[in-house]
Amino acid sequence: MRIHALVAIGASLLMLSGASFVHAVKPEDNQATREKGKQIYEHACLLCHGVDGRGDGPAGWFLSRYEGPRPRDFRGGSYKFRSTPSGELPIDQDLFRTVTQGISGHMPPYSGLSEEERWQVIAYIKSFNQGFKGPVSIALLLPNPPGPPSAAGIDNGRTVYIKYGCQNCHGDNGYGDGKEALDGNLKDTYGHTISPGDLTERASFKGGSSAQAIYRGIMTGLDGTPMPSYADTIGGNDKDVWDLVYYILSLSQERQ
Amino acid sequence: MFTRTSFLVVALSILGGALLTPLLAPEEAQAIPAFARKYNTNCMDCHTAPPILNAFGQRFLENGYQLPGTEDGGSTGKKKLSDLNLDDVNHYLGFRLIGNVTNSWRFKQQNPPGADAGTVENKTEFSFPNNFVVFAGGTVAKNVGFFVELGHDVAEGGAEVERGFVTFNNLGYRDLAHLRVGKFDPNTFSSYATVRQQLGEIGESQRGNCTAFAPCAFNRVGLAPSAFATKFYGLYDRSGNALSPFAASLFNSGAETGVDIHGRPFGDWFLYQVGVLNGSHEHLSDSNKGKDVYGMVRFDYAKSNFFSASLSGFIYQGNSNAKVQTEEDVNWNRYGLSARATYMMVDVYAAYSVDKINKTPMGVAGLFDSTATGLTIGADTYVTNQTLVSFRYDNLDAGGMLDQRTSASFIGLQAKHFLRANLAIFARGDFNLRQSEGGETAARNLRHAFFSGIDVVF
Ligand code: HEC
Ligand code: HEC
Repeated sequence: MRIHALVAIGASLLMLSGASFVHAVKPEDNQATREKGKQIYEHACLLCHGVDGRGDGPAGWFLSRYEGPRPRDFRGGSYKFRSTPSGELPIDQDLFRTVTQGISGHMPPYSGLSEEERWQVIAYIKSFNQGFKGPVSIALLLPNPPGPPSAAGIDNGRTVYIKYGCQNCHGDNGYGDGKEALDGNLKDTYGHTISPGDLTERASFKGGSSAQAIYRGIMTGLDGTPMPSYADTIGGNDKDVWDLVYYILSLSQERQ
Repeated sequence: MFTRTSFLVVALSILGGALLTPLLAPEEAQAIPAFARKYNTNCMDCHTAPPILNAFGQRFLENGYQLPGTEDGGSTGKKKLSDLNLDDVNHYLGFRLIGNVTNSWRFKQQNPPGADAGTVENKTEFSFPNNFVVFAGGTVAKNVGFFVELGHDVAEGGAEVERGFVTFNNLGYRDLAHLRVGKFDPNTFSSYATVRQQLGEIGESQRGNCTAFAPCAFNRVGLAPSAFATKFYGLYDRSGNALSPFAASLFNSGAETGVDIHGRPFGDWFLYQVGVLNGSHEHLSDSNKGKDVYGMVRFDYAKSNFFSASLSGFIYQGNSNAKVQTEEDVNWNRYGLSARATYMMVDVYAAYSVDKINKTPMGVAGLFDSTATGLTIGADTYVTNQTLVSFRYDNLDAGGMLDQRTSASFIGLQAKHFLRANLAIFARGDFNLRQSEGGETAARNLRHAFFSGIDVVF
């Protein structure tokens, strides 16, 4: 009986999480919400992010040892996964997405927290940074892909990849073996070495592996790392950006 | 100090390692074990150095394989299959192959009492890594988890369920009580867990043909943490098999069948655990007549500065859980403390335990020391991102039959190099600090031992 009841709860949670980004349950950001968020934080996040949100939790060092990334410092540090322009804070939906889907290879997904709990903990981590009290950043427009990828588009994507020097860090074929990486020049804002990752392994993309997520990453950059924002350059030509996105996705397919 | 053969072995293993490195060392791990696969993350979220857990991994274990602070068992990334929610199979299965490929011993062969003085032997063996395990673990529904570990010891042959249990978590309210039923490691939640060792256990070699309830000599000492060891000479299980003073036992046996409850009802700083077991040495013979009970408390400090510390204390009460050579039953108990502090790349841990037989049986009165102690201190540190150096000190103040017992102290050193996150090679040396070779006892006959091996998990 008990198991049945548990399974029923599990199943209904499963259905709920299908409706992930609905924010109907988003509670108001007030003291009570932050208090609840604090309790969740202390169980779920503190061991990596530290009691004061400095990213120095007891389990934080071992994640990358002498290299980066360390767990995020919520007090001032820049955020990587945003839909806002480079240098700005993320909007709430960005944080919600990060907490829900986790950060591939670094932080587990928290879809096991109810949506309300996720919003509560987000309200709490925002309280570490006064910047969130200011005006909310305006998210960039993230259009839908213009259409399915084409061979010619992917070829153009390759050209864009070389033209804008992606290979300097990511390597000619996206394996992360660009000159800057091999020379050890890639550091994050804390001075830790940060790997450009492997673009041929899309499941490892930290901000998500959908075409939109890659588009967003290229447009906004990953603040606090050498991965720049291309909004002002390639962003001028939306087709080039999408071609580039499809080129990157094609790198993973080649490998299969 | 090393003989020519062992020097050759060291040289060969280093050369082998050096040759393998460029072949096997891409920047990123390709394959990762079950839980990391399930959560699409990295081994180091939960481990300081596998298999040792960091503070986050410990809370994950305590929560029955659910992320700390959540009860995500029933939902995260699962498919509904009639009444159960299941992950993809590779989210459950893990595989570990670990063991020495070279064993090199320098020790004095012990002869039966009365025969010639032993001869000094230098022995080097190459072997297939001696142990592999397949394990499956996870959750089948919210707050219902399981773990099964099938082990195969190449030397002993056969495969058996080393551990297998189900967990029911967050009974009452979150973190109040988590229940385990089955065959589990009782000491998995304390500051220094029995089955998570950086310098793995090396078994003793027995002289063979020991008769029931008679003194049984060991050819070569075993290298297990002394705090976890049996410590007594002249103890037997119910069928008369001599218990090795060096083998892990009681609260530290690594696997016993029973039921236990643990929880953190007042917040992260305090953990309690109570349990009942069928009794010790079940795998050797019948379980004993009475049940053994234990309790453990643990205090934690885990907040910031990449620092955590914990202190645990336990009491284990045996109930007719061993016999002496006169076949009289004893209640063999253990009281222990363990502590651990982790700061950035350094992880230091220690355990001290006192074993007491609370009433010396009449038949061995005056011949038997009913108290024994063991101390183990260990430390691991990353000297580079991929190289872990470990140290262990053991001191066994043995008890038991006065004419047999001999104390021992050892130092072990190990360097482990991770070629990938889940593939490491290691070289290890153990030294006997009480190197007198006199006497008929294994605790003194070993001079030093060298091992090198491989550790693969996926
Ligand atoms: C196992 C350790 C771990 C746990 C537990 C953890 N995090 Fe993280 N978190 C990380 C790491 C590591 C990063 C940085 C990853 C990177 O920079 O690539 C991070 C980054 C973040 C970020 C920043 C994302 C960005 O855009 O830069 C947010 C927000 C975050 N975590 C929220 C949380 C919340 C909320 C919880 C608890 C519900 C939590 N984390 C639990 C390890 C953890
Ligand atoms: C100066 C070096 C540098 C250049 C130039 C660069 N990148 Fe990156 N890129 C990085 C680093 C470093 C990361 C990883 C950051 C991290 O993991 O926090 C990264 C990450 C990424 C990711 C993965 C994002 C994710 O969610 O994990 C993508 C996709 C990417 N870059 C695409 C590009 C493209 C396309 C270009 C060229 C238009 C480019 N990069 C140019 C350094 C660079």
